[in-house]
Amino acid sequence: MRKKVLFVTIALLAAALLTGCAGGAVRGTTWPGLAADDNTAYLADGPYVYAISLKDGKQLWRYPAASDRNLLFYSTPVVTPDGLVIVGSAGKNNSLIALNPADINQNTNNINSPAVAWTFNGAKDHWFAAPLVVKDKLFAVNVDGYLYVLNLTDGQSTKKAVKAIDIGGRLWAQPTTDGERIFLTSLDHSVIAVNVETYEALWHEDIEGAVASSAVLGTDGMLYVGSLASQLERFDPATGSHEPVFSAEDWIWSTPSLDSDTLYFGDLDGNFYSFSTSTGKLNWPPVKPDGPITASPLVLGDSILIATESGSVYQVSQSGQSKLWSQPGGQIYTTPIQVGDLILVAPLGTEAYLYAYNQDGSQAWQPFIPQN
Amino acid sequence: MSPWQYFISIFVNVLLWIYDVVGHNFGLAIILFTILIRIVTWPLNAQQMKGAAAMQELQNDKEWQAIQKKYAKDREKLAQEQMRIYRERKISPFSSCLPTLIQFPIIIALYQSITRALGSTPLDLLKLSRSIIFPFLNVPDLIPLHSKFLWMDLGRPESIAIFGFAFPTLALIVAITTYIQAKLTMPASTNPNDQSAAMSKMMSLYMPLLLGYFALNFASGLSIYFITSNLLGIAQYAMQGKANWRNLLPGGQKK
Repeated sequence: MRKKVLFVTIALLAAALLTGCAGGAVRGTTWPGLAADDNTAYLADGPYVYAISLKDGKQLWRYPAASDRNLLFYSTPVVTPDGLVIVGSAGKNNSLIALNPADINQNTNNINSPAVAWTFNGAKDHWFAAPLVVKDKLFAVNVDGYLYVLNLTDGQSTKKAVKAIDIGGRLWAQPTTDGERIFLTSLDHSVIAVNVETYEALWHEDIEGAVASSAVLGTDGMLYVGSLASQLERFDPATGSHEPVFSAEDWIWSTPSLDSDTLYFGDLDGNFYSFSTSTGKLNWPPVKPDGPITASPLVLGDSILIATESGSVYQVSQSGQSKLWSQPGGQIYTTPIQVGDLILVAPLGTEAYLYAYNQDGSQAWQPFIPQN
Repeated sequence: MSPWQYFISIFVNVLLWIYDVVGHNFGLAIILFTILIRIVTWPLNAQQMKGAAAMQELQNDKEWQAIQKKYAKDREKLAQEQMRIYRERKISPFSSCLPTLIQFPIIIALYQSITRALGSTPLDLLKLSRSIIFPFLNVPDLIPLHSKFLWMDLGRPESIAIFGFAFPTLALIVAITTYIQAKLTMPASTNPNDQSAAMSKMMSLYMPLLLGYFALNFASGLSIYFITSNLLGIAQYAMQGKANWRNLLPGGQKK
């Protein structure tokens, strides 16, 4: 009997350990996506997408109203010009969903939830990247290696792609555009340009390492990409010719942030760089806060905020002086955003899901904890 | 890094190294890694076979059979006498199930290693960057790992669509091979009070269900490990002439 109990206990423990490490609708499988419009923050965090009032930090709605095992949200939501909130799911059904915050329903538990304006179920894999809106088209990249072009104005409730372009590899990062071309980065060591009107592939260039972040257009007209081979690569957007312009100490995970002719970015060793696209050199020696940097820096008026995996936010002056600005705790992987005077920070591993700060680092309202 | 995380990192690094050596085939890397694990755990398996053989011999021992009869109605006394004989003959009744139990931490570590090595979510890829302890591995060059093997995506549960029904092929193969392996290694026993035989019988029923459940719900890379490990186990027993094929037949154990 004792042996039986021992066996069953070990079996259950193993099952629990495995289950705990598996996917599914679990917060913390990866980090949340954060976006905002003038009045509302949108947080895609595991099983739900939350809308949070920027006035007081209260929950306005969540989607879905009740947990759905087929839905799992990590990708940064995008707000379209007509007010829809578009977010991709990394759940079983791989759907891209447009929510309509103007059409709210309340369920029996008094949970507000928006109506679904349309869905797109044509992708074969998960959505990690935020889509890009260009005029009346949506350019959405999926882990299945396709760039899907959707028409935002066709009124269809179940979207079909205007065009599905096989880029190949795994596409994790939001596309970038210069108005004429769409630039894509792939985990399979490549950077691609596609014509924004004809969807024709213009060039497809291989680089040394995987790219998990988006490309950035510099004020010099060149395209910059950070890679997991620790290189900052510069591309000619017209031809795709490229060269590495800077070697970091470790993987460059996040999309560099641009301020005039300066690119700010961090690496997984915790170095923060200020790179001048004019001189091709660092403006000052790397600043090293308290942990790896996976979030993009947030450029404020005269300083830059950088979030670290150690759960801290540092403020760095334009001359490279850094100081601790706030410390919500947990791990911060999500890029902080600025809306008006507020700075929003979404850490992982904390009881609260979203923190709002004033410019001086003081908290604007009680950190957001979801309503059950 | 905690000891457990270090353990996982070793698995991840060995998997990545094999993946690199075999031409970026992650399925093949898992199969070779399983063979490596079988080699490392060989002494345990040998101990299991030795323990199983000793238990089998015990069933025909006169003293053993005598106490079974004598204390047939006194289970407590019977257990005491059985323990005495185990002690005297230096037989561990647990030795036959130890290798099975030792599989659990390996299964958990392997599952975490597969998901981490495949880096199929940003957080998994980030964890992978922290798991590199072999300095000769050029991980930025290796990632992303090719997760496709035959018809499977090794980072996801497997099923084949047949007439619109998702048929879990691998889970079935895992359950069958686990059952066969358990049955082949089960010592013959005619004694209804034999706790060891009862334990083996229970394991031969529960393990296929448990591992089949894991195969059904977790990354198919884990199923590749189960199947390879089971087939190697069956081959090992067969080559040593210890496989009890009669156990596979209905009522075969009683013969």
